[in-house]
Amino acid sequence: MATEEYEGEVGPHGGGLTGAVSDWVNDHIRTVLLGPSLVALFVVFIYPAVMLLWLSLQNTRGFGETFEPAYNYGRIFTDPTFWNAVEKTLIYSFGSLFVSVSAGLVIALALNKLLNQRLRDAYSTLILISWAVPLSIVGVTWQWMFDGQLGVVNQVLVDLGILETGYSWLSNSVSAMVVVILADSWSRIPFATIVLLAGLQSIPQDMYDAAKTDGATTWQTFRHVTLPYLRPSFFVAGLITWMFAFRAFAIPYSTTGGGPGGATETLAIYIHRFGIQLLDYGFASAVSVFLVAVTLVVATAYVYFILEQMEEIEV
Amino acid sequence: MAGAEFGLDQYRRRQRLWDAVESRYVVHLVLFAAVFFAISPLVWQLLTSFKTQQGVLALTYLPLDPTLAAYERALIDRGFWRAVVNSVIIASASTAIVMVLGTPAGYVFSRFRFPFDNAVFVFVLFTRLFPPIGLVTPYYRIMTTTGLLNTKTGIVIANVYLWLPLVIYIMRNFFITIPQSLDEAARVDGCTKIQAFWHVVFPVVLPGFAAGTILTFLYSWREFLFAFTVSTDLTSMTIPVATFLFVGDAGIDWAAMAAASIVSVIPSALVVVFFQRYIVVGMTGGLKG
Repeated sequence: MATEEYEGEVGPHGGGLTGAVSDWVNDHIRTVLLGPSLVALFVVFIYPAVMLLWLSLQNTRGFGETFEPAYNYGRIFTDPTFWNAVEKTLIYSFGSLFVSVSAGLVIALALNKLLNQRLRDAYSTLILISWAVPLSIVGVTWQWMFDGQLGVVNQVLVDLGILETGYSWLSNSVSAMVVVILADSWSRIPFATIVLLAGLQSIPQDMYDAAKTDGATTWQTFRHVTLPYLRPSFFVAGLITWMFAFRAFAIPYSTTGGGPGGATETLAIYIHRFGIQLLDYGFASAVSVFLVAVTLVVATAYVYFILEQMEEIEV
Repeated sequence: MAGAEFGLDQYRRRQRLWDAVESRYVVHLVLFAAVFFAISPLVWQLLTSFKTQQGVLALTYLPLDPTLAAYERALIDRGFWRAVVNSVIIASASTAIVMVLGTPAGYVFSRFRFPFDNAVFVFVLFTRLFPPIGLVTPYYRIMTTTGLLNTKTGIVIANVYLWLPLVIYIMRNFFITIPQSLDEAARVDGCTKIQAFWHVVFPVVLPGFAAGTILTFLYSWREFLFAFTVSTDLTSMTIPVATFLFVGDAGIDWAAMAAASIVSVIPSALVVVFFQRYIVVGMTGGLKG
């Protein structure tokens, strides 16, 4: 390096083309490292997102597109099946939130009681496997387990003498909803468990020792030590579970296809029905904008709320 | 009635119940129940995949004459093997692109101040929170007009949208845990900024990088919504979509469907078994602020 001959200005990394490139990279390190990601996000996110807004203002019913800003948004609130989809989405997402987080809490508490690290790993691996199963396969599996004729659930219930003949779980609107919520929870419990277990493990042992010295019962310790410390984990597990269940498509679609008669048609299935099956892009886009807005408003409000709570907890 | 003794008595009585609730037996009972709930659908798939079509109709629990015929029907007759190849290609390509783009971006967010840095970071988080179903319609339009419908490229592009913000966020959280003095020491030793990143900081964050890679691969492997929208034939279809197609048939070949499901679950199950720690780190690492 030192023997190189050069003319004129030379940067800290030597002369020649390599040196110049190296200097430029060094001076623009942020652009070099972050730029490609931002360009990619522009192409794969901003462009389609702007297109979504644009499409939502178009009347795409029938042939061609005409610019009618109020048309689709007006339709949303007059379509009776829209309110059905909203209702089903709320039942579905809160049902899944409740089942996943409460089961996750019980499992996390049990795992936390295990002192043997190997045993704990073995149990968590077995419980985690359901998280890795593709959601559409979760759906078809549950559809088939609850099948009226060939379903294993009916088979077990009949063999145990609980049912006389097979029951058609997915043709009744209430039981179909129960099945999709269970299927959804099946794939979300591992996540809730992991988050809550991480929360449990971050509670300082001193707190438990102090509670014991004070003569607190197990319930009192749980109520006054574990739960307050666990609150941030509940917020995280709850928000994420709810958000993903609120937009759920794969599980309800592959379990029931939204049926029977719209009983499990979530907003995502509703959007898919209009956008991809009926090719009514404009209306599907307007409903998407609604769904996006609800999710983001709830998530933002929630995050601010958590931040406030966190400060209280950390005192 | 001595007050103190009554209190102790009451305490013991209440505590006795909780001692039982907390006992080893109850703990194991809860965990057994959880494991049963988690794996019984998969065990049922596995058992069924070895049954003959008559065996499925006969409603026996165990396959009476175990056969691999269902695997042959699914993989060869239905052309499911092509979906397996597609899935491997698509998940690998998506993971490679996302990690190569996202890791340096995460590093920048953990180290440098620049104009609007917070706004840009919030934008990345916003992209992550944005419900993907919202972009399905525009993607379908774009893919139709650019001829990317029914191509692997189309699905890879959707995967980049889905997982790049997640990886930027996870990697930033890993880089934050590494003291900035490490970069500074490397700079003092004569490294350029990019050498400090690549030769000094990156090797330290490798476990985090592994966690990100494994998570992205698993997420791409099981992605359904976009793969289902973008692809309608076996030239580009991934496993989750191809398995789903079995359901559309008039008389569903449950044994073949079970075989197809098992084929798709095995790779992710193996990843979970061998990399459980990384997945847990990745899941919780993606949460810390």
